[in-house]
Amino acid sequence: MNQLVIVGAGPAGLSAAIAAAKNGVNVTVIDEFMKPGGRLLGQLHEESNGIWWNGVDEATNLFNEAIEFHIQFQFETSVHHVKKHSNHWDIQTDKGMFKSQALLVATGAAEHSIPLPGWTLPGVMSIGAAQVMANVHHVKPGHHGIIIGINVLSIAIARELKLAGVQLESIVLPSCNLLNKEASQPGVVFQKLAKLAHLAPSPLFKMGGFLTNKLSFLEKLVVRSFPKNGLKAWGIPIQIRRAVIEILGEEKVEGVKVADITPSGVIMKGTEKIIDVDFVCIAGGLYPLTELIGVTACPFKFIPSLGGHVPVHNEQMQTPVEKLYVAGNITGIESAKVAKAQGKVAGLSVAHDLHYLQDHNAIDDAVQHVKKMRDHALIQFHPDINKGRNELNGASITN
Amino acid sequence: MASLRIKEHPILTVDQHVPEIQFEFNGKIYTAREGDTIASALLLNGIRTLRVHEETASPRGIYCNIGHCFECRVTVNETAEKRACLTPLEDGMVIHSGQRLPTPFKKGEE
Amino acid sequence: MNEKDIIICRCEEVSYEDIVHLTELYQCSSREIKLRTRAAMGYCGGRTCRNLVDQIVSEIKNEPPADNIPLTYRPPVRPIPFRLFGGE
Repeated sequence: MNQLVIVGAGPAGLSAAIAAAKNGVNVTVIDEFMKPGGRLLGQLHEESNGIWWNGVDEATNLFNEAIEFHIQFQFETSVHHVKKHSNHWDIQTDKGMFKSQALLVATGAAEHSIPLPGWTLPGVMSIGAAQVMANVHHVKPGHHGIIIGINVLSIAIARELKLAGVQLESIVLPSCNLLNKEASQPGVVFQKLAKLAHLAPSPLFKMGGFLTNKLSFLEKLVVRSFPKNGLKAWGIPIQIRRAVIEILGEEKVEGVKVADITPSGVIMKGTEKIIDVDFVCIAGGLYPLTELIGVTACPFKFIPSLGGHVPVHNEQMQTPVEKLYVAGNITGIESAKVAKAQGKVAGLSVAHDLHYLQDHNAIDDAVQHVKKMRDHALIQFHPDINKGRNELNGASITN
Repeated sequence: MASLRIKEHPILTVDQHVPEIQFEFNGKIYTAREGDTIASALLLNGIRTLRVHEETASPRGIYCNIGHCFECRVTVNETAEKRACLTPLEDGMVIHSGQRLPTPFKKGEE
Repeated sequence: MNEKDIIICRCEEVSYEDIVHLTELYQCSSREIKLRTRAAMGYCGGRTCRNLVDQIVSEIKNEPPADNIPLTYRPPVRPIPFRLFGGE
């Protein structure tokens, strides 16, 4: 029997595996993908000091370290069920059953979609799909594309696609319906963009950085006077006053129909036009992928700032279910660095609970490190992350 | 039209000397490289439609590229329902796209 | 824009219009919508559209999301061949 099985070989899973194995725990890591790294593999961005954060290198380093500690890896293996018994877990996969004393679910996040007419056509893909295609497989998602959805993830990946030599028409909004009330509102989107001012070197973006929620009249002014053709970040027009109405094509994507929208997101009749593209990326944001926790007895909490439903857990990454742990984006959408720091906490907690941990300050130190990483994160996915985290810690005490 | 293969990149290391491999898709022979997935190999060869919807025959391709959506499922060497995005391409692989299925119990069908 | 043309559940091809219409008509839960339309019940297990169905229902009924997951997860969370259940 394994002492610890980890589902997910991303930043959280890998660093948890290392932390646990360093303390003598015997660890197996399972992942559906053919190589380690999870979402690290696509990531590529410039830090404020000008140094590039290269997720591929990061993943390789973590994997090499894991190998040194004799951690077992099962790639191309899908877990379809986990079941708690009195003193072990059954982990059912398409490659057979694994048994383990402790289980860490580090399955990361999945992408929200933005349904619109034509989105099932071949050539329409999630923004993460395009990222993996370009940065992991070194194949461009297409020759000339457009991105629907303006948010931190889409702007970061747009830049990555540009670096890979992909032509991008622009980043635009989705047209408004019940599913994207906020993401289709130029005003709301602008407020969020303003908080990213440090990422994009454009004068109006910088000006946006001075805005606060209270200065809504200034925001309206800026949104009203926002140029229809957008502001460019790294040469890519970001058009908060334009929306895609429909994706066009017979057998595959051939173009999109766009229209100008009012500051409140209403389509302005007569402004419709067709743009030729051969691929479309949909950027709806991320949500914690909790399905494996959903088949256990672990309770959930709905916390919008963390990305939706998240499993109840404490700062030590323990859930209320005995010997069930979580780490990384399954606990809330944050940067890879936070996920990695959380993974270490989870690995140490497992080592502690299996009576292997010698250094009893190690967990506290690792918990502090998570907070430090959170505070220093270049990209804050949500301004209220700390509030969300506190709410979750409160819930873990009452459970 | 120019290849979709990324040959140079300002930050990432792109290996130029990866061995080529051949595979078959719906009866035709194509070339890609070791390390490609079925999904990246087909995209590289300009193939976007990986299957059609079983009932309506609407064309489908890669959507999530990380195994969540199951839109890219294909038959590989006679094993059905393999996700193209999670399956490493191998030399000599025989791949078939999913087809429309008969729906004899549904009203309104011929 | 024709709301009939917006597909919500890609696996079962259920439209935005149908989900909105049935939710308004029956004022029902997302689970009932799932059972009535097969949305979120297809091959992918609802990974792509379960949140969309939940969100439409929550908007129409004006009910904020609760802590409990509305469309519960059931094993297997990935499609598996019958032989893995022990049969032939």
